[in-house]
Amino acid sequence: MEPVPPPRASLATSVPVPLEEVFTIAADYERSGKLAEADRLLGYILTVAPLQADSLHLAGIVAFRLGRHAEALERMELAIRHGVDTPLYLRNICEVYRTLGRLDEALATARRAVELSPSDPLCLHNLAIIHYERLEIDESIACAEQALAMNPTLPGAHFELAEALLLKGEMARGWDEYEWRFQIAGAAPLMPPTDKPQWDGTPFDDATLLLIADQGFGDVIQFCRYIPWVAERCPNLAIACAPEVGSLLRQLHPTLRTFVKWEDCPPYRAFAALSGLPRLHGTRLHNVPAPVPYLRADLARTKHWKDRLDRLAPPTYRRIGVVWAGRPTHNNDRRRSTTLAAFAPIAALPRVALVSLQKGPSADQAGRYYGRAPLINIGAEIKDYDDTMALLECLDVVVTVDTSVGHLTAAMGKPAWIMLATAPDWRWLLDRADSPWYPTVRLFRQSVAGQWGDVMSCVAGALRERFEAPTTE
Amino acid sequence: MPLCPCGSGLRTVRCCGLEIGSVPPAESTRHLVPLVERAVQAHRQGALETAERLCLDVLELAPDRPGALMVLYQIRRTEGKLAAAEALIRRVVNFDPNNFPATNELALMLMGRGALADAEHHARNAVRIAPENPQAHNLMGMIMTEAQRPQIGEYHYRKVLDLAGGRDPILLANLAWNLKNQGRMEEARALYEESAAAAPDVRQTMLGWARLEEADRHFDAAAEKLDRMDAQWPNDPGVLLSRAVLLGRTKHYDQALAVLDDLARLSPDGKLGPNELSEQGRLLDQMGRYDDAFVAFAESKRLAAELSGNHYMDEVAENLIARARSFFSAGRLSTLPRAGTRQDVAQPIFVLGFPRSGTTLVEQTLTAHPRIAAGDELPLIADITGIMPRMLNSPLGYPEALAELWMGDQRAGLDNLRDWYLQKVAQMGFIEARHAWFTDKMPLNETHMGLIALMFPEAPLIHVIRHPLDIMVSAISNHFTHGFFCANALETAARHYVRVMDLVQHYRAEMALRYLPVRYEDMVDDQENTVRGMFDFIGESFDPGTLKFHENRRYARTASYAQVTEPLYASSRFRYRRYRAHLEPVIPILAPVIERLGYTVD
Repeated sequence: MEPVPPPRASLATSVPVPLEEVFTIAADYERSGKLAEADRLLGYILTVAPLQADSLHLAGIVAFRLGRHAEALERMELAIRHGVDTPLYLRNICEVYRTLGRLDEALATARRAVELSPSDPLCLHNLAIIHYERLEIDESIACAEQALAMNPTLPGAHFELAEALLLKGEMARGWDEYEWRFQIAGAAPLMPPTDKPQWDGTPFDDATLLLIADQGFGDVIQFCRYIPWVAERCPNLAIACAPEVGSLLRQLHPTLRTFVKWEDCPPYRAFAALSGLPRLHGTRLHNVPAPVPYLRADLARTKHWKDRLDRLAPPTYRRIGVVWAGRPTHNNDRRRSTTLAAFAPIAALPRVALVSLQKGPSADQAGRYYGRAPLINIGAEIKDYDDTMALLECLDVVVTVDTSVGHLTAAMGKPAWIMLATAPDWRWLLDRADSPWYPTVRLFRQSVAGQWGDVMSCVAGALRERFEAPTTE
Repeated sequence: MPLCPCGSGLRTVRCCGLEIGSVPPAESTRHLVPLVERAVQAHRQGALETAERLCLDVLELAPDRPGALMVLYQIRRTEGKLAAAEALIRRVVNFDPNNFPATNELALMLMGRGALADAEHHARNAVRIAPENPQAHNLMGMIMTEAQRPQIGEYHYRKVLDLAGGRDPILLANLAWNLKNQGRMEEARALYEESAAAAPDVRQTMLGWARLEEADRHFDAAAEKLDRMDAQWPNDPGVLLSRAVLLGRTKHYDQALAVLDDLARLSPDGKLGPNELSEQGRLLDQMGRYDDAFVAFAESKRLAAELSGNHYMDEVAENLIARARSFFSAGRLSTLPRAGTRQDVAQPIFVLGFPRSGTTLVEQTLTAHPRIAAGDELPLIADITGIMPRMLNSPLGYPEALAELWMGDQRAGLDNLRDWYLQKVAQMGFIEARHAWFTDKMPLNETHMGLIALMFPEAPLIHVIRHPLDIMVSAISNHFTHGFFCANALETAARHYVRVMDLVQHYRAEMALRYLPVRYEDMVDDQENTVRGMFDFIGESFDPGTLKFHENRRYARTASYAQVTEPLYASSRFRYRRYRAHLEPVIPILAPVIERLGYTVD
């Protein structure tokens, strides 16, 4: 058999490169995001040295980042067998176990990593994440605090602590810890470098305050409720935002100026992220401002969509808006998203029509739906959030996973039934079916990680009750 | 000197490979006229060899001589060399488009071999050449009746009655057959009676009449007609096949099989033809002899393909579906207008599905409702895909021609297409004042679901879903030409089915449709809820009479007619299990769709 030719560091050299050096190059590639290149080099190393633990471990990380989860796990487990309890390997395989929903293995491995490297705050941070995922919130807080005791400036641990505290409803400390989110390695910067200060809540009316509609669209919809509160203190407001949410944000303040390019932003005295406003407002569980509806659909658009839906949906059927998946790039999407097929118990209800509001790559599941309730794939015609809001006006209820459509429905004061993974986002708190953020939200929580069957059955039962009950709304 | 493969006896370069430029001017071959006259004379006197020799000689020198072509055509047709005959008569028409007798002959030949679209083209020319000629209208009557446009056929038959000034018994029988196909049984029966009274010994008339009685469930009357025919024309193949069908419908399976055995013995090669084999397969199926039944079905398919020369038009189907996928995308659709909805006429309900998936059952159910008229299999959507480039003044074909809707002068193009469809429906005359809806159950119209939704954005699309393997069993046990002749073999039926279902998935992902999948199995297991669901979806009140669809006296023209005149039985569900071993080759092809639809293979 012909030996596999070794890779060359560059075209100029023809001398075979030692494996250690190849590994270094592969690691550089992995760090710089050149995953295919790293994958190729690691493949070569493992052909020559199939049990080389560091290479197996790195190959596992690369495979994981390329979405080849089963292969990642196989390689990393092999690396652990041949690397003899290396804490780094254990820490990293945790994330693979977590992603695959194998939380018991994730926990055991994370604990073993802490045992092996008790002074490594990263191992504790990792353990905190696993505990959060398992909904062991006190344990998560304890681990994050221990990590911070070792390294008080570890942003990830601060953020994990913030999420756990907020999930428990401990907002005072939670908001402070939440401020660390921009320090996390790899986090997108809030804005270009600036010499202007972050707003501290002090009123001024002789200059512009620049708000930044940061994070996902759901966060923007949730936190834009604070804009009137800000406007009372700083009436000259501008906001940098994605184009999708511009018209929606302008509803909150009549003179709000929206910008989608940094270079178009006006001079400003201070800036504030929308997601930082609850801290400045001093939001606690008892005083969450929830002035719903704080977003409203355009009347002309509503008429258009009502006419359209009336033509497509059976006239006497209840109309249930459905969304089954969030943005796939969201770091929690694997857990929060489900499939349209999982809505089967709801589709089996009599005299209901499902109205798909789904956008994005998962929307094509509408083509594979063969449930009994008619499905109107109106998502194919939705162009923007104004369309979505107009459509929401025409529905009886919206059943969604944790997406921006849930926030939008709730912000409009419409019935939003949101289905949550076992370890939900902090904003939905613990063990409750309602939300202080949105009076019209009803929460349905997963009892077993990754399993939506029970949740869907509960929702179907609740819908049946709702539709059979005399109408009072 | 290679002779033409068509069998004409001419050299290829003087026959099907003839180049127009090589035909000498008529003046230069004037000297051949006497030879043509001698050929005509010889043919008339029965001296066929002489006539043939003369024709071949003349046509070698002057391949466009119509007299010689006509004589040679008649000789070849008499010999049963139909490909040669068709090539020759077609050449006469090509050289002389105003030749009425030749046009008439060609149209009849094409109709005879089932090339109805081509036949219709020439029949229309015949009417253009001779608008007052009864035979021209008779041609149109026959072809349009066969092409499932019986209302248009009826118009032309009645035109013949006007022009001919009498009541020709054959014509009356043809009109009766037409009316039977429209479900107008009493009128058809009266015409058969009149025809038979005037000419009692016409075999086709009596056979048609017997079939009318069978279709109308007057089994005794049908048997009586067949008995009379048997006495007059013993061992007639048509009578024997009708007898077998009748015995099958009355559940005398052994006797029916025995009749088919007789039929085989009487045939020159001792074998049954495709239709007889299908019937044999159905009888064996009813008797539980599934392996034997499958052998009969498969042989029927093989023979039908061999005789007709029709095979699945794989590349044409693939091309059309690929273009539809490419054109109908959410982004493009957002830029296209939609037709408005006409408030002044009944609205279509499209019953979609693969042939033999249960579309007839659903249509019979819907049209048992007093406000829904039965349109049956309307060929109009497919017609629109053909005429669209002309109507939209586009250099492109369907579906790309829809790009013209972006032009300022074609913004109303979809309204025009919609009106064309509705006008054709109105001409068919099946809609009454009480009807708010009518059905169009042309199978595989789902291939054009995007176009339908543009033309009729509010029309209910009811897609009949059935276990794909059950559909395959039905496809192998029946003859149909839908879907580019896909049903000529099991594998091609499966392949086309998957292609169309994938296209449906695409449409549904890209468009907001008024679409309801209805499972055939639910129609059997949970009939009332399923039927109520359909009427809710349409927006019509439920009528309990629709549950007794088998009492709907309307005759369904399609192959399902015998089944839909009986109440629902669970035996039609999961019939594939009896043919599981025979279906093995298509299971891998169908597997993705079986899973998508939520079925399993047990």
